[in-house]
Amino acid sequence: MTGRIVGTSVSRARDADLLTGRGRFVADLDLPGQAWARVVRSPVPRAKLSRVGVEDALALPGVVVVLIADDVPDVRIPIRVSFAATEAAAQVLQPLLARNAVRYVGEPVALVLAEDPWTAEDAAELVILDLELEDVSEDLVASASEGAPRVHAELGTNVVHTASTRFGDVEEAFAGADVIVRRRLELPRQTGVPIETRGLVAEPTTDGVTVWGAAKVKHFNRTATAELLGLDPGSVRLVEVDVGGGFGVRGELYPEDVLVPLAALRLGRPVKWIEDRSEHLVATNHSRGQAHDLELAATRDGRLVAMRGEHWVDQGAYVRTHGVLPTLLPSSHLPGPYVWEAFELTAHAVLTNRTPVGTYRGPGMTEAAFVRERMLDVLAAELALDPAELRRRNLIRAESMPFTYDLGPDAPPIVYESGDFAGSFERLLDEAGYEELRREAGEGVGIGISAAVELIAIGPYEDASVAVAADGRATVRVGVGSLGQGVETVLAQIAADELGLAVEAVEVRHHDTGDVADGFGSYASRSTVVAGNAVALACRALRERAAAEESELAGVGEVRARFERAHPSYSFGAALSVVSVDAETGRVRPLRHVVLHDVGRAINPALVEGQLVGAAMQGIAGALSEELPYDATGQPLARSLADYRVPTSEEAPVFETILVEHPVADNPLGVKGAGEAGIVGAPAAVANAVADALPADAHDVLALPLTPQRVHALVTRAGRPPTE
Amino acid sequence: MSSGRWIAADDRVEVEVRLNGEAATLEATPRWMLADAIRAHGLTGTHLGCEDGVCGACTVLLDGDPVRSCLVLALRAAGSRVDTVESLGTPDALHPVQEALRAARGLQCGFCTPGFAVLGAWLREHEPDADAERVREVVSSNLCRCTGYQPILEAFGR
Amino acid sequence: MKAPPFAYARAESVADALALLAEAGDEAKLLAGGQSLLPLLVHRVVRPTHLVDIDGLDELGGSTRDARGLVLGALTRHAELERAQLEGRERLLSLAAAQVGHVPIRFRGTLGGSVAHADPAAELPVALLALDAEIVARSSSGERTIPARNFFLGPFTTALAPDEAVVAVVVPESARRGTAAFAEFAPRAGDFALASVGVAALVEDGRTSGVRIVLGAIEATPVRATVAEDLLEGEALAVAAIAEAAHVAARDCDPIEDPSTSATYRRALVRHLVRDALRTLRGADA
Repeated sequence: MTGRIVGTSVSRARDADLLTGRGRFVADLDLPGQAWARVVRSPVPRAKLSRVGVEDALALPGVVVVLIADDVPDVRIPIRVSFAATEAAAQVLQPLLARNAVRYVGEPVALVLAEDPWTAEDAAELVILDLELEDVSEDLVASASEGAPRVHAELGTNVVHTASTRFGDVEEAFAGADVIVRRRLELPRQTGVPIETRGLVAEPTTDGVTVWGAAKVKHFNRTATAELLGLDPGSVRLVEVDVGGGFGVRGELYPEDVLVPLAALRLGRPVKWIEDRSEHLVATNHSRGQAHDLELAATRDGRLVAMRGEHWVDQGAYVRTHGVLPTLLPSSHLPGPYVWEAFELTAHAVLTNRTPVGTYRGPGMTEAAFVRERMLDVLAAELALDPAELRRRNLIRAESMPFTYDLGPDAPPIVYESGDFAGSFERLLDEAGYEELRREAGEGVGIGISAAVELIAIGPYEDASVAVAADGRATVRVGVGSLGQGVETVLAQIAADELGLAVEAVEVRHHDTGDVADGFGSYASRSTVVAGNAVALACRALRERAAAEESELAGVGEVRARFERAHPSYSFGAALSVVSVDAETGRVRPLRHVVLHDVGRAINPALVEGQLVGAAMQGIAGALSEELPYDATGQPLARSLADYRVPTSEEAPVFETILVEHPVADNPLGVKGAGEAGIVGAPAAVANAVADALPADAHDVLALPLTPQRVHALVTRAGRPPTE
Repeated sequence: MSSGRWIAADDRVEVEVRLNGEAATLEATPRWMLADAIRAHGLTGTHLGCEDGVCGACTVLLDGDPVRSCLVLALRAAGSRVDTVESLGTPDALHPVQEALRAARGLQCGFCTPGFAVLGAWLREHEPDADAERVREVVSSNLCRCTGYQPILEAFGR
Repeated sequence: MKAPPFAYARAESVADALALLAEAGDEAKLLAGGQSLLPLLVHRVVRPTHLVDIDGLDELGGSTRDARGLVLGALTRHAELERAQLEGRERLLSLAAAQVGHVPIRFRGTLGGSVAHADPAAELPVALLALDAEIVARSSSGERTIPARNFFLGPFTTALAPDEAVVAVVVPESARRGTAAFAEFAPRAGDFALASVGVAALVEDGRTSGVRIVLGAIEATPVRATVAEDLLEGEALAVAAIAEAAHVAARDCDPIEDPSTSATYRRALVRHLVRDALRTLRGADA
């Protein structure tokens, strides 16, 4: 169906307000009589906690109360992603406030309530923590070893979960291969860093509490908050205001999400909490940190045969709402868009005395793409094949769709339902001018490519309701949210086309759990697919009912529909990066970045392009400059945006986007998600470009980020050579 | 502290400024930054993204110059001109830079946007002939996490 | 990240500022542009009991030329230096100032503040050392002049007495001749330099004299690469000479080693930047 409005780059209604400073972000909300909350956080990574002394803090004028573990329910932050919950993980969930032990720098230990944020911060410094310091493991892999200091004594190990993924006969496949390459690859901890930090304002109501500042998964958080506080879910209301970016890290249920409404109820007055940036870098979810041992086997003529890998994912000191999902996701993405005879992947979820870990845009898939695509280039060099040619010979062809990797009775299969992987890849090479780039690349210029698949549009469902008023305006209600990406515009476009209205006549309401009964939320690039189709179905049902009743649309009342999605799908993407590397300083300048993605159908091409470019920039910086390092004593070293190097415009390349719209049969709108797509293949392409630019005798590119100093070390061959 | 000259850390003081073209009195203590005082005055378009001078979301004009309002004490602004994003345009009458950002889709979440708008308006007025390199230099003052900068550079180049 | 408590006074003159400092005691600090001090304050890394605000003092602004040379008021903003039409070796001030942080930082940050703060990675101290500049310090008992080479003693440590304030910087008149260049390496635009180099020299008939090669962000204070300077003194800035000077400067420096940046890497940057700066110098003269 070609729409009048779907498929056009309609402007967002919210832009004028945001441009003129009329946005309403949570820090802009003030309620009369509000108290300010400040979290007291552990300054050490691992210690026995014998006492939290609040006397000095309480003595400060303007301090209302200081809550410690004894003052709050002894509950745990639950796992939201149920298929990533395990028995062991359930033993290492995070309490609201630390009791008896602290396990990472930044862990909440107490909550100060004061009349203003200056006093609250002063008072937080006066809270006394009686700590008996303990040693920590020096790195991730050490933490997984037998003798490592236990992050949770009760667990008996720091490996909270191990999962295996098998396809075919890996032993046989490796035995029959001509060429085998093997490397250890590493990614650092990274995080989303929205420019707005987290924040909440909570107000007690007659029978419950209202909380502003929610995002991403409001309905789950509403229900979980109610349960943890012993309230009726109907009496807890979560409201999303304008949100300054999410990238996966904002919106999950954190201790503060329960503590702040609890404080409001305890005090009987509103409570406001705004996270500062230094806190944000240790309190908001980290992601990406992992190490991979990966082995690829191939034939002499460049046919991929098998892959064998073991990886360790740093899950931090507690398992939080994502369960062990960060550990599971790489395995389902390592095979990628290629034909393999066999693969065997073992994943370990490892606890460390560091900030807990969740999902950051393109989780697991970005890491898997880096690791695999880097290894494909290593293999290509071994085979003396052009990297593009190696991929050409192995990308799954359109004729093979739907393509399935059957992982046995105990695991869901990997199913690629649609797409033209090989053809889309050719299109990238063609439109980017790959052959010419290769021919004309001067000294110090490198070209890198990547191809990847991305899990999108997780179900199980979303509901939407629509009603048309007498004045011809439609109101659509959905359970997903906005992180700033423009989802309400896209949903309005869909409704406008379905109902034959102008897009300005459609209002999309998604902000308030009191207004929208249910929803799963905005993550995994699902909002347009799952909520979008729900909106389309609701509109069609409305039209059908109006036709059946021979009535105007406005006469029919509100109609609800549900779009169910039994299993997620995968979409294809590819990227090409051109960089220049100064071998003397190690500086990598990204010059050009081309990102292709199969979006099924672009409801709003400009918004999709914006998502691809923004995500790609994050991925490029993920390859070159972003890391959250810890020193040997477990202290996080990045406490400011001066340390955690998100890029400025000077670090940006020229971007080009290619939107592939390959027909999709599994949903009425024919869409695939695109919110994360741009990031998935970016670090891989950039890393391959850097490797391409380096002198032939440089050490292998195997670890991110490729900071100037690290690139310089590769060129001068300082440090250890790549593992064999 | 015998001279009587000192203002104690949490004493509230009135700070007279020329705010968005009109005389105004901000309330602040010595510890408040100009960003805090502006926001407490009801002008919440100026945002705090880091509070240590890196992100630029708090950019305002102080006596005509773009500055990080998180790195200026509120009391220091007494007697000065302060211009915030609210002085540029309204939703029905956008400033040319705001319109350029809108048309180029140089915003997604909008949190960094006021800082860029103030910077862009200043650049346009003071350096209308800024070349591409200068535009890049100015744009690199502020952080955006959503757009990848390409549309912002495009908007400023117009 | 809110500042810890401090008492505040706005000085009405330099004499007034000094009197307020005396009254406030050892844990008081002067506040100029605030671009270095305020981030430390909000991170609660420093906790002054009192802040004496000198940011608005006209008597510390502006610049003049007198018998001593170019006299720059302590409150000269980096942005002013950047735009100043300076010539000869004086141009090094503009080149260095242009590298400080970002545009909005430069509108607030001051020469005097940068000098008194003495961050090893700061750009202007490099320029001052390369120009043989002098820092004018005033206390209630009078004024003295401290040559740049005696002023920077260590990281965030200067020769200023606790009761002294920087009121001006003097650049010798001879600096109006010659050429200069500045090069720095920072991870991102606006980041602190991992290494910086300021070079200045007179060039006559193709031969250099009065060569200064100053390294910043390498050691605890800005340092001159004296052996490299001697190599070039009286010589032409030929490719080989430049390469050797760069090599020697890198060889002889004693870089700080910190968790994120190794001494080895800093040395490599010195070599690269010295070479680049000297090439620019040669090009500027040609």
